[in-house]
Amino acid sequence: MNRLRIGKFRATDRMCDLIDDNYHALLVLSRFNIALGFGDRTIGEICSENRVDAATFLAVINLMYNDNRPPTQEKPQLSIECLIEYLYNSHHFFLKFRLPEMRRKLKESLNDGDSDLNNAMIGYFDNFVSALKKHTFTENKKIFPYVRALLNGEAPSKMLITLQKQHEQIQFSLTEFKSVLIKYYPAVKANEINSFLFDIFNCEKDLASHNAVEEYLFQPEIDALEAKIRKTV
Amino acid sequence: MTYPVKISLVEPSLIIRSGLLAVLHQLSTFQMDVFEITDIEQMKYVLSRQKPDILIINPSVLNFYPLQQIRKDAANPNLKCVALQNSLSDNALQKVCDEVISIYDSAEQIRDKLTRLISEADTANPPELLTNREKEIIVCVIKGMTNNKIADTLHLSAHTVVSHRRNIASKLQIHSVAGLTIYAIVNKLVELNELKQ
Repeated sequence: MNRLRIGKFRATDRMCDLIDDNYHALLVLSRFNIALGFGDRTIGEICSENRVDAATFLAVINLMYNDNRPPTQEKPQLSIECLIEYLYNSHHFFLKFRLPEMRRKLKESLNDGDSDLNNAMIGYFDNFVSALKKHTFTENKKIFPYVRALLNGEAPSKMLITLQKQHEQIQFSLTEFKSVLIKYYPAVKANEINSFLFDIFNCEKDLASHNAVEEYLFQPEIDALEAKIRKTV
Repeated sequence: MTYPVKISLVEPSLIIRSGLLAVLHQLSTFQMDVFEITDIEQMKYVLSRQKPDILIINPSVLNFYPLQQIRKDAANPNLKCVALQNSLSDNALQKVCDEVISIYDSAEQIRDKLTRLISEADTANPPELLTNREKEIIVCVIKGMTNNKIADTLHLSAHTVVSHRRNIASKLQIHSVAGLTIYAIVNKLVELNELKQ
């Protein structure tokens, strides 16, 4: 990092500085389908090359950099389609990549023998995964199509979308699992269990960031869209 | 407290807020989560979610908004309120606060003030071990029994079972059946063949 930067990232900042500053940005890039190898080009340039709406990209990035606190200033115009793409890829990442890998690592880090306790551990993890699956399924199959219909000018339904409560439960469940593991599981394989715990910490952070995007960026856009259509009807 | 102390910091100035935040993060005496709040409107909106143990507030943002109302907003009648003093301000208000931190305080003074507040809050809820009754209830819960069934089996009212379960959750910080199962197996509250029945 060779330049002093203070405050939010802007479209004129270099993409490589963004990653240098916080490697979690890598996850955001992949979810917007932006590949690495961008040399010294700016965030704005890379976004337009990849047909990603730069304002939306920056809103997601800055939310993460601001520790997932809701944006206080006026929000720029976001691309809802772009946000849906991001959220969809993010769900795919959790269910198809992150969680199966974690399950494998959990199995490897459990003590040999002790099969009943181990089954209870795996059972807990599987419960968590199926809760997340159910939640993402609702979003992918119901909420996203609904929002796309709104974008096409269809009338809003009476369906009330509040994403926050489910998120809290899912995050809570992962945090509880982590604390049960740390406080009560008599782990023997220290390296394996540490590696798994690091994954949980990362996953918690990831989930928090994903949920913040849904609650602070996506939800207000849905609300605004519904309100706008209701007015014209 | 075994969990991080939750502190909400209400101060409009970015520089003062970041300064206090930096000092708080240096205090390694206890773990804490600090939420930053910039104005009173935001505070009214977020307190009920943040559920802080301690509120550090610049009294000038209050603008006659009563502390009692803040405690209500935070749904915590025992919320400790600390005035953050950065200039001469109304003494009367500082008397109703639990503590005053001045921007000229040293790190040690700030630490001692916060530690005092936290240990006060701590003695209000000392950590407790599970009672035998609570252990019995855990065993019933992980066998998949409903509250009514548990009440029948142990000759309690359903209401009592609910309140036992609430106590268990707050003592262990475990709310799910899956989590309790792990706790029970590790602590040998159950024979495993019992569970399989």
